[in-house]
Amino acid sequence: MLGAAALAVPAAAGLFAFLSPLRQKKASGQLCRVTTLDSLAEDGTPQKFPIIADRTDAWTLYKNVPIGSVFLRRVGPDRVKALAVVCPHAGCAIGYDAAARDFLCPCHTARFDLDGRRTDEHSKSPRDMDTLPDVEIRDNEVWVRFENFRTGIAEKVVAS
Amino acid sequence: MMNACWKWIDERTGLGTWIAACRERRVPGRPCLCRALPCMLAFAFAVQAITGVVMLMRYCPSTQTAWESVYYLQHEVQGGWLLRAVHHYTGQAVLVLVWLYLLGMIFRGTYRAGREFVYWSILLLGLVALAQLLTGDLLAWDDNSRSATLTRVGFLEALPGVGESLFKLAAAGPEFGNLTLAQFTALHTIVFAGAFLLLLAFRGWFARRTEKIAALSAVGSSQEPSRDREGAVATRETEKPLPHGRGSESTSGTRFWPGQALVNVLGCVILLAVVFGCALSHGVDAPERGVTLGPPADPVGFYDAARPEWAFLGLYGFSKLDVFAGDTIVPIFVIPGAVVLFFVLMPWIGRVRFGRLPLGHALNIVVLVVLLVGNVWLSFKVVAQDRADELHQRAIRENRLAAERMLTLIAHRGGIPPAGALELLHNDPKTQGPILFRRHCATCHDYVGQSPDDIKAEESTAPNLFAYGSRRWLSGLLDPKRIVGPEYFGNTAFKRGEMAQFVRDTFSDLEPEDREELDQIVMTLSAEAKLPAQSEMDRKDAIKIAEGRALIGGNEGYCTDCHQFGDSGQLGIAPQLNGYASREWMIGIVRNPADPRFYGAKNDRMQAYGAADDESKNLLTDREIELLIDWLRGDWVEAAGSRQ
Repeated sequence: MLGAAALAVPAAAGLFAFLSPLRQKKASGQLCRVTTLDSLAEDGTPQKFPIIADRTDAWTLYKNVPIGSVFLRRVGPDRVKALAVVCPHAGCAIGYDAAARDFLCPCHTARFDLDGRRTDEHSKSPRDMDTLPDVEIRDNEVWVRFENFRTGIAEKVVAS
Repeated sequence: MMNACWKWIDERTGLGTWIAACRERRVPGRPCLCRALPCMLAFAFAVQAITGVVMLMRYCPSTQTAWESVYYLQHEVQGGWLLRAVHHYTGQAVLVLVWLYLLGMIFRGTYRAGREFVYWSILLLGLVALAQLLTGDLLAWDDNSRSATLTRVGFLEALPGVGESLFKLAAAGPEFGNLTLAQFTALHTIVFAGAFLLLLAFRGWFARRTEKIAALSAVGSSQEPSRDREGAVATRETEKPLPHGRGSESTSGTRFWPGQALVNVLGCVILLAVVFGCALSHGVDAPERGVTLGPPADPVGFYDAARPEWAFLGLYGFSKLDVFAGDTIVPIFVIPGAVVLFFVLMPWIGRVRFGRLPLGHALNIVVLVVLLVGNVWLSFKVVAQDRADELHQRAIRENRLAAERMLTLIAHRGGIPPAGALELLHNDPKTQGPILFRRHCATCHDYVGQSPDDIKAEESTAPNLFAYGSRRWLSGLLDPKRIVGPEYFGNTAFKRGEMAQFVRDTFSDLEPEDREELDQIVMTLSAEAKLPAQSEMDRKDAIKIAEGRALIGGNEGYCTDCHQFGDSGQLGIAPQLNGYASREWMIGIVRNPADPRFYGAKNDRMQAYGAADDESKNLLTDREIELLIDWLRGDWVEAAGSRQ
């Protein structure tokens, strides 16, 4: 008994360190400059752009590196729609299938139309593609608030 | 002397007595390969421990060093690739052995009364072996291992309430990174490996105990009954339902030594042969030998053809079934969890009888067969689907090429930079060029030259940039028909421009000597580009090129009415021809095509990608423009130091 109690001290100390990742949060919520309005195809074809920002991985700080990607497509003369490339199902990267003019996730073959809606009734994805609602056009520059969302659930919840 | 020594040791350790007892141990029936499975599992563990410890001595878990140290092991350490391959295939073999063991126990009915703990330790051993595959796979930190593991661990996020916390705990952070590698290394080499060893020991302990009870019961069958005996009799009956009255003979069986011992050794040799067969199946020549190592994992990207190892393929196929539309909880957690629970309960289910019919046992066997067949069927199904999927195959091909490219770059540099191997890929024009071109240029420009790397514009409204500045490209530009075609100015404002007009007026219906002159102009202008692929030709034609300069500029020159070349002509009317299509010139035009040096006010829709001094205001960084231009000019390193 006493021995077990004595072991509890280092065990507790270890547990604190082991649980420490719980307090860390995903890097998101930053408004990032992505590209210019002119570089987006006028016919509404989606294009994938990297999001450049700072990224921290435990002790390493990377300055101005890709932290993710977004699909941008023009939906009006100065209106841009931003869709997350991360598949809401299992977190794979959705690609644009130019031949079929839709989005395709390569992992479990979920398909989405250009607005990000699921097109297959057996789609593995629990929800439509995630829209990044905060898109700003500032003198020809496209700015997007980049966010990650929880995967595998039907509701769209910002990952924290 | 030896004897005295041995006696001294035996007295103090009891080793000799123990060995003798092991030899004297009796095993039921004749020596059999099926009874070699525990020994083979222990042997497999030993192989994993030996190869694993050496690999751990050569491994550095962090995002800048994990892939790099595995690369070093695979390609630089002598025999390192074989170590990796043997470790890899033995890991898979363990899973097969566990399956065989469970199958044997269940089919022969030896999982029931008396031997439940033996059965459970093997079951747990199987789960630990799966955990070992999952954690071990990540450590290589190549494209596939990161993406496939991220997907599997990422399923945790789907769990209601605790999902995100579980993921963070498993990944040791909100995203896969340095600490994920460190944690998986510790889990793989210490936690799960230790659990495996413990379970092996427990299995041995429990098995010895059931044997002892069986022996006791057989000896004591004529004496007064005891609690022990009752249990033991039950064991005997389930192990082999013998006709009544022959129970006492079962103690005879055969001695472990030498028959079964030899069979055990045979089993281990077969295991080793199979493992080495697999390990050597890709030959012994670099770079394909042993187990594939893809390009280093992109820290935020995702590999499109990511797939788990075969042990998880059945589950992957299962989760892909149409009935689970939009759901991950049921196929990934509920049903596999229920299956594991069923396996745990099997010894009890197996005891259920309906009258004289062993209904529970029959159910167990049916479930087992269905699971096994279903698993194999689903695995083959997804493999067949992937084989037929052109996008998947292309992703794999590109991945292989990137892995080969990585080796070329490392060899060319003579080593990996401190920031990691990815830095080499990120600074490689051959790798980055097509990516940047697709993202920024292919909205308007083609890059089409009948090569597998062709990039077709979404809507071709600008010149085809394949082999831009080469003699071939320039002879097309100065061809009256082609200059107004879609490959040049056909889809631009310059279709009706002065240049097209000039080419039509000057170079239509040429006499042979005029054609020679035109060729000389092309040759001379193209030499300005200093393209690596043309350096040999430029050197050979140096005299013609020197003479050709007079055809472009000077008093007699064709071009300097509008263009500046040498000392003649002026800027501001048409692009400068000094250093035309050279690296510096191309970087300039991409930065700002509306600069007076290039198209000035006549610029047709081409964006300025780097006009501002402040890089953060530009569409492309200076480095990105350089990479793009170097790729367009075919200026990159190739294997053995040769240049494209």
